[in-house]
Amino acid sequence: MSKQERDPLTGQLTTGHEWDGIKELRTPIPNWWLITFVVTWVFAIGYLVLYPSFATTKDYARGLLGWSSTKELAEATGRARDQQSAWRTQLLATPLEKIEANEELRRFAMAGGQAAFNENCAGCHGVGAGGQIGQFPSLIDDDWLWGGKVTDIHATIRHGIRDGGDETRLSAMPAFGEILKPEEIAATADFVLSLSDRSRDATRASLPGAALYETNCAACHGAKGEGSRDGGAPRLDDAIWLYGSSREAVIRQVADPKMGQMPAWQSRLDEATIRMLTVYVHTLGGGEK
Amino acid sequence: MATTAVIDTVSQRRPARLPIPQTVRGRYRTIKTAIAWALLAFYFITPWLRWDRGPSLPDQAVLFDLPGRRLFVLGLEFWPQDLPIAVGALVLGAFALFGATALAGRVWCGFTCPQTVWTDLFFTVERFCERLFGKGTLLSRIAKPIAQIALAVLTAFGFAAFFNDAPSLPSALVTGAAPLGAYLAIGILSLTTWLFAAYAKERICLHMCPWPRFQAALLDKDSLVVTYQRWRGEPRGKKKAALRLELNDLTALIREAASFEAGRGDCIDCMRCVNVCPTGVDIRDGLQMGCIGCGLCVDACNEVMAKIERPAGLIRFDVEGSDRAGSLKQEAVRLLRPKTLLYAMLCLFAFGSMAVGITRMESVLLDVEPQRNPPFVQLSDGSVRNDFSFRLAHRLPHLDRVVIRAEGLAGASLRFATGETGQETVALAMPGNRRISDRLFITAAPGQAPSGRASIRVIVTDAESGATLGEVETYFWGPAR
Ligand code: SF4
Ligand code: SF4
Repeated sequence: MSKQERDPLTGQLTTGHEWDGIKELRTPIPNWWLITFVVTWVFAIGYLVLYPSFATTKDYARGLLGWSSTKELAEATGRARDQQSAWRTQLLATPLEKIEANEELRRFAMAGGQAAFNENCAGCHGVGAGGQIGQFPSLIDDDWLWGGKVTDIHATIRHGIRDGGDETRLSAMPAFGEILKPEEIAATADFVLSLSDRSRDATRASLPGAALYETNCAACHGAKGEGSRDGGAPRLDDAIWLYGSSREAVIRQVADPKMGQMPAWQSRLDEATIRMLTVYVHTLGGGEK
Repeated sequence: MATTAVIDTVSQRRPARLPIPQTVRGRYRTIKTAIAWALLAFYFITPWLRWDRGPSLPDQAVLFDLPGRRLFVLGLEFWPQDLPIAVGALVLGAFALFGATALAGRVWCGFTCPQTVWTDLFFTVERFCERLFGKGTLLSRIAKPIAQIALAVLTAFGFAAFFNDAPSLPSALVTGAAPLGAYLAIGILSLTTWLFAAYAKERICLHMCPWPRFQAALLDKDSLVVTYQRWRGEPRGKKKAALRLELNDLTALIREAASFEAGRGDCIDCMRCVNVCPTGVDIRDGLQMGCIGCGLCVDACNEVMAKIERPAGLIRFDVEGSDRAGSLKQEAVRLLRPKTLLYAMLCLFAFGSMAVGITRMESVLLDVEPQRNPPFVQLSDGSVRNDFSFRLAHRLPHLDRVVIRAEGLAGASLRFATGETGQETVALAMPGNRRISDRLFITAAPGQAPSGRASIRVIVTDAESGATLGEVETYFWGPAR
């Protein structure tokens, strides 16, 4: 240890080292800095021991507290669900038709329904629920393939469309390309297209496709093309054409019909969420009373 | 200029500053007390005043409704977009302050600054405790902090009352029903009030406040400041026995004059002026940053001058440099100077702009936004629907129902998502909170929809008077043909 020596000018201690007559003042690290430094070490070691901190060859150190972000998320969502549980119970206890009349319940259902819709339904039906011509039906218009009352919508969401299961919405249209001749199909398509044109109500019966329609289509789609929701036969007398309204599109649909599919959501979503979805879809613009 | 040099107060302050300044009576003390009471009353009573705005609105005369993002002031309701009016108020306040400073020095500091008013209030309460329980006794040592904390909490509560319904706030606070913000505000403001008015006191003026630092720029040779008339005060000396009144005749005056000549000035160095000063400065050192211009030393010195039968005004409000004039009378203040006229004009301008702004505030906000996903909806009967998000907010005295119609689209029918089937117009009852937001469906009859985009106008009118409340230019999309 070098001898303690004071610098005569400043009165401060020197380090005791000397280089060619030059001495260095002893200016130690300030205490606050030293303490902060030690505290950061204590914190770092504490963190290392308590929290997941480093990888091992196959796994990682879990830390004494057993904390993980996955667990934290699960707890947070659990807490959120607990907070919502009163609303969810009420949603389950209220008859479907009465949910919308209850302003608060409706708002809750709309908020939850929108979230569930964007997550599960928007992929096909679109975020705005406008569907896509030729693919997925619009949910905001006033035409419903399987019914637009809350109970209908609820059943459709639960059991899906052509998705197996006992209660799923099921209908099938024969491929007339294998039954009728091409010119017969074209004639039928012309007749079908005339169904939505009110100005041709009187003259339609004389079209060549009239008899063909009567024999092959009217049983399901109705004599005037009014369709049947129970049978899952779309209306043909309106302006909405899921698979296109051009003559070619209608011919294609008669010859080799596309039939949409929708999964049954009851196995994937809980009943309360399905009810929220129902309310949301019902209020999008076309809901029926 | 030596007498008016700005002296650094920190180093000049007497070490033996009294913990609580002495009381004094006089003209400026009376003015100060009156102003303090008026301001305190304004602060504490305003939230309790009521103003009837009808059933669905708060009846508090002045209310900052933060959740509702609006401010009620008597019959006026302000919205965030009225912020330029607040700018007008700030500009007005700034120039009024500059103007007052140009005329009468630091009157803001001395009489109206919240720091001054609250410090003065805390001094009064502490003096009261000492009078009640005796100076330095255990009881007064206990009573003082209790009184200080109580005052601080009361002050904080007074602040929170501007943001909540004042009469129901106390019970809401006790039952825990008050909003979190109220507790936070009361907690923080109690602490700062105590820190500023009970603990830091004049140190805020001396070390923290920026305002004293501008003074040199704002004062001029015509502004009133507190002056010590050095020409008659110096040299200071212990007072000789005061003359009895009946002896105060010509001979006495001659003798006084003689003693003056013999070397003693009017100041008897009794330290009253220092002992009453809330910031503890010695004004006899000249104008200095620590002096807040409260005039208490003027009162104190006038008291003393009356006792020793010398003319008042050894310390007085006067212009800087008046000392050299050697006059017993205060110089007449020049009110009309280019500077004050300019400030007055700017004040008028700011006030005028504010008044115009207030009279021209929009009372109705209407927002109709097309929902573009999808741009239009084909309906089964061949009609085409567009969906809009519709928001309407108003601050009219009353509005029960509005009627909404669309122009520019033949045979358009309207309905709300929550409403009944379409009509040419829809009527809507305005709910209590005076804001509605809903989805508005506008439907073009079969064959009437435009090909592509067409301009339409959505017009909202008052159902009773038929007056147009607002209209919005927007678009209607139809299938391309
Ligand atoms: S109060 Fe007046 S007389 Fe007394 S010390 Fe101050 S200036 Fe002098
Ligand atoms: S010096 Fe006089 S005017 Fe200035 S703050 Fe002190 S008492 Fe008030």
